[in-house]
Amino acid sequence: MLQIIQPAQLAFPEPVEASVIAPYLFVSAAMFVIGLVGFLTRKNMIIMFLCTELMFQAAGLALIAFGRHHLGADGQTFVIFVLCVAAAEAAMALALVVLLFRHRESLGASAWKELNG
Amino acid sequence: MVRVVDEEHASLGIGLGHNTRSGPVRRVCSKRFSPDFGNERDTVEQIIDPIALYLICGLGAAGVALALPRRDREGGRTMTIVGGLLLAATFGLGALMLGLKAGASDSPLPNYFFYPFAAIGLGGALRMITHKRPVYSALYFIMTIIASCGMYLLLSAEFMAFALVIIYAGAILITYLFVIMLATQAPTGDKDELLDEVDAEAREPYLACAIGFVLIGLLTAAMFRGIGDLPQPTRDTTLAQAEDAVLLNLPRKVDRILERNDLLPEGWRVARDAETGRAVLDVDARTITLELVDGEDAHGHPNVIATRVLTGEDWPADLSANNLDRLGYNLLNDHPMMIEVAGIILLMAMLGATVLARKHVELEEDLKAAQARKLGAYIGDQQGGAS
Repeated sequence: MLQIIQPAQLAFPEPVEASVIAPYLFVSAAMFVIGLVGFLTRKNMIIMFLCTELMFQAAGLALIAFGRHHLGADGQTFVIFVLCVAAAEAAMALALVVLLFRHRESLGASAWKELNG
Repeated sequence: MVRVVDEEHASLGIGLGHNTRSGPVRRVCSKRFSPDFGNERDTVEQIIDPIALYLICGLGAAGVALALPRRDREGGRTMTIVGGLLLAATFGLGALMLGLKAGASDSPLPNYFFYPFAAIGLGGALRMITHKRPVYSALYFIMTIIASCGMYLLLSAEFMAFALVIIYAGAILITYLFVIMLATQAPTGDKDELLDEVDAEAREPYLACAIGFVLIGLLTAAMFRGIGDLPQPTRDTTLAQAEDAVLLNLPRKVDRILERNDLLPEGWRVARDAETGRAVLDVDARTITLELVDGEDAHGHPNVIATRVLTGEDWPADLSANNLDRLGYNLLNDHPMMIEVAGIILLMAMLGATVLARKHVELEEDLKAAQARKLGAYIGDQQGGAS
């Protein structure tokens, strides 16, 4: 019933049933929601962007899990592009945080309350 | 030969043995637009008890709401510990319910290693959003990344696991750490008065947790219902197609593997198709055609002197496309345009970051004059030295 870890590079992976990837999907959903809750509750802008990275990570895990079920490489390929977008987002977001910090000397998102409109 | 899988059983997707007969399988999706809710609920119930699922979501929400940062005078420290214990109990309950359900039916469980990786990953993610000091949050996020690398390995995505360590833990998170250190004065203790004002407490923790964990319940229920309808891949269809596609297009790799197994005499190689350049081999029938080549003819085509066919018993055990071959082939063959788009995104991000983070340096007048004099003297020295 329980699989022992197998030398993965040697052979094409065996097909798995849906009940094997279901726990991975649960972890992925939980990770996504933890990121979302963090984004909504924390006031520090750096932590907020870190939480978006966590949400990317959760999406990547779901992609890999579904890719494993379909035995295709498309899921993994898509994770490469998720990584690429995450890197671009990190660069832009951190530059923006540094810029905003220089203006107000504070990392709080509420320092920019007047942008509420 | 095309077989039609009985929809009533295939839609469960669980508890069925693998198809052992050969031939492509075509599924008839007659129920796609007429959902049968009774049948769908069965799929959730085969994985986890729905009541347990919603209980886990509720307990998790309460735990996160308690553990989120709060001022010490409001009992923040005690509540964080209580929340942490509640979350640990929730995780244990979740693993237990999944295990009990899987033990009762004969549907397989994931690998043993999944549970510690999931615990470390989710624990790191929770500590990341509950810790009051940003540097520690970033370090806990690295822990989450490494735990999800472990899960990638269990899902046989080896290349992505190591790429994740290198790119995420090695590059992106280090950038975050640098910015955190640039933008905050590192406090020496956990006391509230030493912390930055923005890190001391959370905004609307109860509302956010309630909404978030309703979302978990919905997402999980929807996904668990949906995966019952996934076509069940079988070794005889998917394996042969996927390996054919990659191996046929990598004749030099086939050459190398045959050489390693001492199956390739001097001067011989795998036969290439004259038009497409693909290797001539049949994964299903386990035959490989070899050819002996001597120079090229007038048109630049190789001069084939002799051919022979390797059959089943000579088929090397390690002749298969590994994860890296399949990923690389998929990336370059099926998504070449996306690579260009990714390059443009990264270039634009680099330019944007440079423009945004640029610092305007306002020099004083006399400082500018002093610098100009220094430059003038330097140029004068250079000219004097040249003449």
